[in-house]
Amino acid sequence: MIHISNIFLALILLSVLLSLRSNRLMALVKLMAFQGIIVSAVPLVLDTAHGLTFNLIMFFLLLILVKGLVIPGMMSIAVNKVVASREIEPIIGYHASLFAGLIMIIFSVYITNHLNLASLPASHKLLLVTGITTMGAGLILLMARRKAITQVIGYLMMENGIYLIGTALAKEVHTQYVVEFAVLLDLLVAVLVMGIVLNDINHTFDDVDTALLGQLKD
Amino acid sequence: MDFTFSFTSFLSFLVAFTLAPLFMGVILKVKAFFGGKQGPPWLIKYYTLIKLLRKGSVYSTSTTFIFKLGPIISFVTAFMLLLFFPFAGLPPVLSFHGDVVVLFYLLGLGRFFTVLAALDTASPFEGMGAAREVFFSALAEATIFVILALFFRLSGSLSFAEYFSGDQFVNLWSQSAALIFLVLIALFIVLLTENSRVPVDDPATHLELTMIHEVMILDHSGPDLALIEMGAFCKMLFYSAFISCLLYPFHTGSALYNVLVFNIIMALIYAGVGLVESITARYKMDMVPNFILTSFALVFFATILTMEFVQ
Amino acid sequence: MNIFFLALLLIGVGGTQALATFRLYSLMKAGAVLAIIAGCSFGAYDAAARLLQHAEPVIYNHSWLHIFTFSLKIDAVSAFFLVPVFAIPAVGALYSFQYLHDAKRAAGTAINYFFYALLIISMALVVCANNLISFALAWELMSVSSFFLVIYDVHKKATRGAGYIYFIFTQAGALFIFAGFGFLYSHTGTFGFEALASIPDSAKLIAFILILIGCGSKAGIMPLHIWLPYAHPAAPSHVSAVMSGVMIKMGIYGIVRFYLLLEPTSVVFGQIVIVLGISSGILGVVYAIGKQDIKKMLAYSSVENIGIILLGLGVGMLGAASGNKTMAAFGFAGGLLHVFNHSIFKSLLFMGAGSVLHQTKTGASNELGGLMKTMPVTGRSLLIGSISISGLPPFNGFISEFLIYYGAIHGLSLHGASFVLSALAIIALAVIGALAGAAFTKFIGVVFLGEPRTDKAAKASEAGILMGTALSVLAASCLIIGVWPYHFVQAAFLVTQAIPLVSDYTTAEFMPLMTNISRTAALFILLFIIVTVLRKIFYIGKEVTKSGTWGCGFTQPTVRMQYTGTSYADSIVDFFRPFIRVQKNYSGINKIFPGKTTYSSHTHDTSEIGLNIFVVRPVLYLLSKLRWIQHGNIQLYIGYIVLAIVVMLIFL
Repeated sequence: MIHISNIFLALILLSVLLSLRSNRLMALVKLMAFQGIIVSAVPLVLDTAHGLTFNLIMFFLLLILVKGLVIPGMMSIAVNKVVASREIEPIIGYHASLFAGLIMIIFSVYITNHLNLASLPASHKLLLVTGITTMGAGLILLMARRKAITQVIGYLMMENGIYLIGTALAKEVHTQYVVEFAVLLDLLVAVLVMGIVLNDINHTFDDVDTALLGQLKD
Repeated sequence: MDFTFSFTSFLSFLVAFTLAPLFMGVILKVKAFFGGKQGPPWLIKYYTLIKLLRKGSVYSTSTTFIFKLGPIISFVTAFMLLLFFPFAGLPPVLSFHGDVVVLFYLLGLGRFFTVLAALDTASPFEGMGAAREVFFSALAEATIFVILALFFRLSGSLSFAEYFSGDQFVNLWSQSAALIFLVLIALFIVLLTENSRVPVDDPATHLELTMIHEVMILDHSGPDLALIEMGAFCKMLFYSAFISCLLYPFHTGSALYNVLVFNIIMALIYAGVGLVESITARYKMDMVPNFILTSFALVFFATILTMEFVQ
Repeated sequence: MNIFFLALLLIGVGGTQALATFRLYSLMKAGAVLAIIAGCSFGAYDAAARLLQHAEPVIYNHSWLHIFTFSLKIDAVSAFFLVPVFAIPAVGALYSFQYLHDAKRAAGTAINYFFYALLIISMALVVCANNLISFALAWELMSVSSFFLVIYDVHKKATRGAGYIYFIFTQAGALFIFAGFGFLYSHTGTFGFEALASIPDSAKLIAFILILIGCGSKAGIMPLHIWLPYAHPAAPSHVSAVMSGVMIKMGIYGIVRFYLLLEPTSVVFGQIVIVLGISSGILGVVYAIGKQDIKKMLAYSSVENIGIILLGLGVGMLGAASGNKTMAAFGFAGGLLHVFNHSIFKSLLFMGAGSVLHQTKTGASNELGGLMKTMPVTGRSLLIGSISISGLPPFNGFISEFLIYYGAIHGLSLHGASFVLSALAIIALAVIGALAGAAFTKFIGVVFLGEPRTDKAAKASEAGILMGTALSVLAASCLIIGVWPYHFVQAAFLVTQAIPLVSDYTTAEFMPLMTNISRTAALFILLFIIVTVLRKIFYIGKEVTKSGTWGCGFTQPTVRMQYTGTSYADSIVDFFRPFIRVQKNYSGINKIFPGKTTYSSHTHDTSEIGLNIFVVRPVLYLLSKLRWIQHGNIQLYIGYIVLAIVVMLIFL
């Protein structure tokens, strides 16, 4: 039999990998939309997901809406309107990023085994691995990419990772999402701010390279 | 070595071998459909082979005996691969524990000689194709061996026959579906790479500078070229059969039904290749390593994840 | 044991008589070559017979002045290594008869034969040494004699430089080995090998690492390999064949021997060796692709093969430490068999490269090309050597790599770090195999195929008949081991029985495997013949014409338009950029009517740069601060001596 949750996790890992090697901004944004939808749907397909109430389903729908549509939608607007060059300019090359991702997953498997959480259900182990990997890959993206918009994507990926980790570690389905939802709202605001700032920078400067922000230091 | 003299396995091998050119016709048909054309006849590849076999050859004055060895060895190695493969779950003609390693290395031998034959012509274009071929196939080789490692981890077996039979079979419809799912994607990428299809290589382009495989065989003609083509059909057939055996559990059910399903899945895979070819453009040459590395990363992920599943 | 000493005596006589009779040039060469070949044949026969008949180990002790005992022992491990130690130099000697042909340098040639003989003897002693002192003595003798062999062309500046680098590395390596020995002595209080297994585990690890560094610098493990690409091109080709084929394996022997003596139980040993194997293997082959000088390229390929051997040994060690019998037996057997195989095809390749060098006077592959037509024997032998070294069936390189694969794949049933390292070993082997294919298609394709790129290459002719014979013998053995591997694999498995875990390992598991591989190889050859005949049939009565290569519409191709080795390698080398630095100088086109443009590229070794920055410069800086000690005042020098004596008297 197939564990649907495992397929979902495989898809998340796939999206993480693809995002590390993706060289187009638009492709990256689409990937994030895909990842957002899958990540928010993960708790629904877990075998611990019983007793789904109407409220809970509404909550997840909202989550999918925000992660899968609203944030990526705004980012794609930003990409289309603001950013002149649609190529991602990596600081660390694509191959190196991919290898960093591979090291990340070895590391996260090691961490998961090392933590040795007795309370963790066996099926949640893979979830934890995926979560840590996603978070780490987000960090790599933050480090390795130059554009402001990729920074936001990095944050978003980290948030996805944290969400998965939270799902893995939580015993009950409903209680913990409140905090994460708040984080998500923060992120939403961040995206909004980014959009506005980018717009303004775009009016003032020719480029939205974060390296230029370095010139602002005194 | 298990030498299965059973009639069915021999027959399945022969049928697969003779159908290989027909499946290639499927790709052309799909591409023609997307181009809004009628396309060549289904049997086009048979006609091509017959045409080539009836011709003579022109040899470059620069070449040596290696140029003639190239087609022979590339065909023989690809042909041997089919002898060991269990088509539609039927036992293969030959099989032994560890045959996968030998077979992939035999494919390497075929590549070695194809590349040498290309370099033998002293043509700058063929050298270029050869350089790309060895580079990309080195990356694909890594993917393949990780897949072998993963399959050993899942099933404890080291031959094609063992993979798709017994209790510990590897298949999408088993316990480790998520891993096989990743393997399938990776294997499809390897299929595109090893068989020089879009988006890695474009066999139909008119510009030699941008080719990989086709440019290496520019100077071959007549029966030599026919051998190369047949080798390429065998290789394509092998990879597609590999994927289809992962997609559907052939070791259960009746043989006749399986053969039918197998051929339908095969046709679908070839159609998928045609579909990819119709809707995507080939990658810039420096993006190709990236593409192949993705397949490597996927299966490596899957292998590391087995640390979770198999405790 | 008597045959062993007879062999050494014959070899020694062959070497020394050359010094006496060097005025009769050809006679001297013939005498030396015949004596060395005779001695080597005896030695190789004795060792092989010993190995296959499961002979009991023999021990020979000779006490010298009651200070120490010179002790030799031939067991299965020694016998296994003795076979290439005797067999390869014999072929090398045969080759050297026509290779060293400058009668004006008769004295130099005589000295070369003397040290050649000494090198063989010392290597034989290294693998038979049965206590620390004997090992150290034989090791030093080997280093010194090989140093003199490297500087045969002493009038060339590059050769002297290469000799200097080799000397530093070999002595620094010896220093580490002696440090390891001293450390062992401090724990056991005896020079004998027997007590080593009883020292505490932490001491074992330290001693092993010290010996690993020392032996590793001889073997050419990745960061310590820097001398290889200098010394091998500088040495005469039969010498580089023996050095690369056999002498660097003495480093491997040291690692194996002390691993067996220490009998460690921790997985750390295997893990260290696997990591070193991965780095040496992959980076070695990438550098081999990047280098365009044929002997430099072969030197880096030796680094790669040492990596494969280490992978095998590491897999074996990991298996032994974690109780996985199959993994241990197959890993060790694969590593050891690769030692043997590599000695065959690497010496073949070096001698073949020597023939090319000898006939064209250049080793730069980008100046060669098209030699397959003018040097058919060399070309065909080297083609076989190249297939073998790329690890492709049906030749011998594949057999040993297959055994290592088999061992590593069975290591996948382990957990944690051991599992990850087994998986990495498999990936590394696959990548090394594919890249070795790239390196050697480049080698054959650029040097032997296509059109000659320069006059030198166009005017080449086949090398002498003895040189050709030597190459053919080695090429034939590559095919024989590839198609009938059974006895060779069995010999390697016999050696692994020295490991406690697999001492009761039966032949039941590998026997069917080898038969199957052998049958697959036979099937391949059969199909190959059938298809060749079919192809011939299809060509009966057909029109076959000759014409120029299709230039894709360009009708005036010149030989300079061929793909060069540099361009062939470019994309692969570029992929590994952080680890390999390519310096490109391109003048560019910057005028409407471009003037003369130039382009050159050079591949730098990152470890060499690293060594320069982190070791050589600090040491030079430190030492320059001590300059004041050397001031030229003789009275003060005497003062130093007095001071030294006083200090020694106080402390000793």
